[in-house]
Amino acid sequence: MKLAADSPATLPLTPEAKAAEKYNIVKNIVRGIVPLITYPLFSILLMAITLLIFRFNPLKVMPVIWDGAFGGGDIGHINAISETIVKATPLILTGLSIVVAWRAGLFSIGGEGQLLMGALTATAISHLLKWMSSSLVIPLMIVGATAAGALWGGIAGWLRIHRNVQEVISTIMLNYVALYLVGVAVEGPLQEASKNGPYSSLLPNSLLFAHLLPISMTNGIQTRLHGGVLIAVLAVPIIALYLNFTRQGFALKLVGSNIRAANVAHYNVDAIRMRAMLLSGGLCGLAGVVQLMGVSSRLSLEFSPGWGYNAIPVALMGGLTPLGTLLSALFFGALNAGSSNAERMINTPSVIINVVQAVAVMLIVSLRAWKRRASEGNAE
Amino acid sequence: MNSSLLHFSNNPIAISMKGITKHYGSTLALNNVNFECMGGEIHALLGENGAGKSTLMHILAGLSRPDTGEISVNGSVVNLKSPREAREYSIAMVHQHFTLVPAFTVAENLALDLPFKGRFSRYSSRNEASTALAKAAELGWHLDPNAITSSLPVGLQQRVEIVKALSSNASTLIFDEPTAVLSVDEVADLFRVLRTLKSNGTTVILIAHKLAEIMAVADRVTILRKGNNVAETEVSKTDVHQLARWMVYGSDVDTDEEVKISAVKSSSTDTANTVLSGTGITVSGDRGEVAVNSVDISIAKGEIFGIGGVDGNGQLELAECLAGIREYSAGSLLWNGSEFAAGKNPSTGYIPQDRRRDGLAVNLSIVDNLLLDAVRDKTFQNGPFLRKKKLNSLAYTLVQEYDIRTSNPWLPASSLSGGNQQKIVVARALYRNPDLIVAMNPTRGLDIHATEYVHSRLLEARSRGASIVLFSTDIDEIKLLADRAAIISHGSLTNYDLVKSSDEELGMLLGGMGLESGSGK
Repeated sequence: MKLAADSPATLPLTPEAKAAEKYNIVKNIVRGIVPLITYPLFSILLMAITLLIFRFNPLKVMPVIWDGAFGGGDIGHINAISETIVKATPLILTGLSIVVAWRAGLFSIGGEGQLLMGALTATAISHLLKWMSSSLVIPLMIVGATAAGALWGGIAGWLRIHRNVQEVISTIMLNYVALYLVGVAVEGPLQEASKNGPYSSLLPNSLLFAHLLPISMTNGIQTRLHGGVLIAVLAVPIIALYLNFTRQGFALKLVGSNIRAANVAHYNVDAIRMRAMLLSGGLCGLAGVVQLMGVSSRLSLEFSPGWGYNAIPVALMGGLTPLGTLLSALFFGALNAGSSNAERMINTPSVIINVVQAVAVMLIVSLRAWKRRASEGNAE
Repeated sequence: MNSSLLHFSNNPIAISMKGITKHYGSTLALNNVNFECMGGEIHALLGENGAGKSTLMHILAGLSRPDTGEISVNGSVVNLKSPREAREYSIAMVHQHFTLVPAFTVAENLALDLPFKGRFSRYSSRNEASTALAKAAELGWHLDPNAITSSLPVGLQQRVEIVKALSSNASTLIFDEPTAVLSVDEVADLFRVLRTLKSNGTTVILIAHKLAEIMAVADRVTILRKGNNVAETEVSKTDVHQLARWMVYGSDVDTDEEVKISAVKSSSTDTANTVLSGTGITVSGDRGEVAVNSVDISIAKGEIFGIGGVDGNGQLELAECLAGIREYSAGSLLWNGSEFAAGKNPSTGYIPQDRRRDGLAVNLSIVDNLLLDAVRDKTFQNGPFLRKKKLNSLAYTLVQEYDIRTSNPWLPASSLSGGNQQKIVVARALYRNPDLIVAMNPTRGLDIHATEYVHSRLLEARSRGASIVLFSTDIDEIKLLADRAAIISHGSLTNYDLVKSSDEELGMLLGGMGLESGSGK
């Protein structure tokens, strides 16, 4: 059979090929699901051990954590689950940012700085445009924050491409630059009028995301579930589509897998890597403004408890896929919400959860390395 | 009788592998294989790609472990769990894909494997490497200890790799397809070194699939086919045809059948119709040096223009220039009289020389690898989205059309054998029927079947009117396929008459001497 120039005639897929394709899809799904079941189970086991080491009774503490995450006891289910989702929201966006960069073979640790730049820019916009109608300012804040995050990612991208500075290094350093810029801002031009502390004034209610659940649904206690959650949840399928079904996504994957082959196949490697860093940074910037308008309402030095850094374990546990990241962010959100409750109710320090997270990440990373080594052995 | 006893006592069995079986997943790579090698001989291990040669030798070198089987070194049974333990039994391997650190100097690479002498004493890689460098000098190789390894041509890198293996005082050296990356001259030099090693008492095991090389250098040969023993014999008691039959068909075949080792024949073409014409093309290398120096080149429609030469003489740069990956800094390059722009004028297909590095993303699926170029084609796009169905059916067509042997094309490309990986690269270069094809060592490291396959595809492309520039360090390949040829040396091209030129003239050209200066002799 001869193929015509530039428009190759194609054969229909045979049943075997279709079966192979289906098998492949099923295999990928199973591969995605298995860690999402095993890792959380494993983390819970790990948590029990950690609690034992610090002489807490896991059988007492873990139900309280469960109540904080999913409701029970005095806490309504909807209230607790809302809190879990609120805690997961920034992690979804920053986790996606890691996934995008990783696809292009870049290991960005700059989520924290990009997120802070987003929040800083949005705060500045809200201050500068007080006279403008809030229906115009809100989109400006969101776009401005995303652009600022993208710029922060783009600087690391530019350094990597044109000066061969490893993005691991440059993004960490840019995190500090962003943190200190926030510091300057909240003790200077953006500080609230009474000058009481290093934070900006609260955003007016008109610039905050609406509460999604009416009080009537939640035992008279207002949940923090805000409109920004929808942005984060919507970002998941968009990024999934982008990575798996567009030509730009294909290019990211190729560059992440073998830069030289991409170059030889006439792909513009520099532009593709830059695009990955811009998109990755933009997602974190977006996370910054979502937190600002949804939860914190003001900028301060303590604005982020490390959402940018925690994105890395979230993305790793999610198998570096968008859907996995959503689920693993929810798991981390539940841990956070639950451990806050445990601290409040029975005085168990919530930092124990950080220990669990850190150990889990090390185990996941070593598991991945071990798997890779095993598969290389088989590639003979 | 007497002489055979003498022979035995001089050459006891140095290496003996018995009943070696090895599975990779569900694939049986080695099936109860036996292998014996006398001390101080050059023993060739022959087989097609995927016959299990490398697997068997990786087991001997401690790189992987057999499922069952027994290994003895000098008569005592050993358990080789790692390359380090293999080295304790004086077994070392020279790998096909080098194990050198590219950013290190030659001396640093040579010192890498040696044990540290003093914990607190001053470390100098040059001092540490001095023994190894002296050994290299004994073999007639003068390596620059301060040269950065990645800057060396592949032939020199191999020498470093060999010296590194020797520096561990190895008495058994395994060479994995050492000639795959070498030119004619370099092969001759390597054989000289192999013989020197043998005369020093070193046992040499040579993984190979080029029959002529085995006939030229080996004492004995073991033939594997699909993970099974086929035969073992002294080289002096066999011939090329016998070996080829064993390798391709195994031992139980109808011996009347003649194996076609290279049945492809060139047909004459019309060379008057020049499409590509370049004058004074100058291309810079990676370090800014002039790699291609003011070269004139002209190629006709439907012609294969062969460019031979020793690696590192500007082939890569010229090939990448013609493939549109590298720009030329001076000269003019025209296609059909208008400005040459690879990919657009003319449409171009490129077979890069290092498929794992430049041709494939081995972690991605076979399908993805086949679609590297197609995804950028408007017919496979719907706005920013890819038309997956159409793409998959194209990929599947190519899998069949180019005979890529796989159980599932959605497996990573790394799951394929070298020959099948190369078929992906060839498929991508050819399926769009480009007007210009740049092929660089397209059959390097491939077995006879895969080589013939690639050759027939190239000839097919020529017969439909494609112009092909074939770079090859294998002059026989050029003689076989090319209509016209030239030799590249130090960045300059010298025309080479395929019919009239003698081997001696060829040697002169490869050595960088023009015919005029050489003819005085």
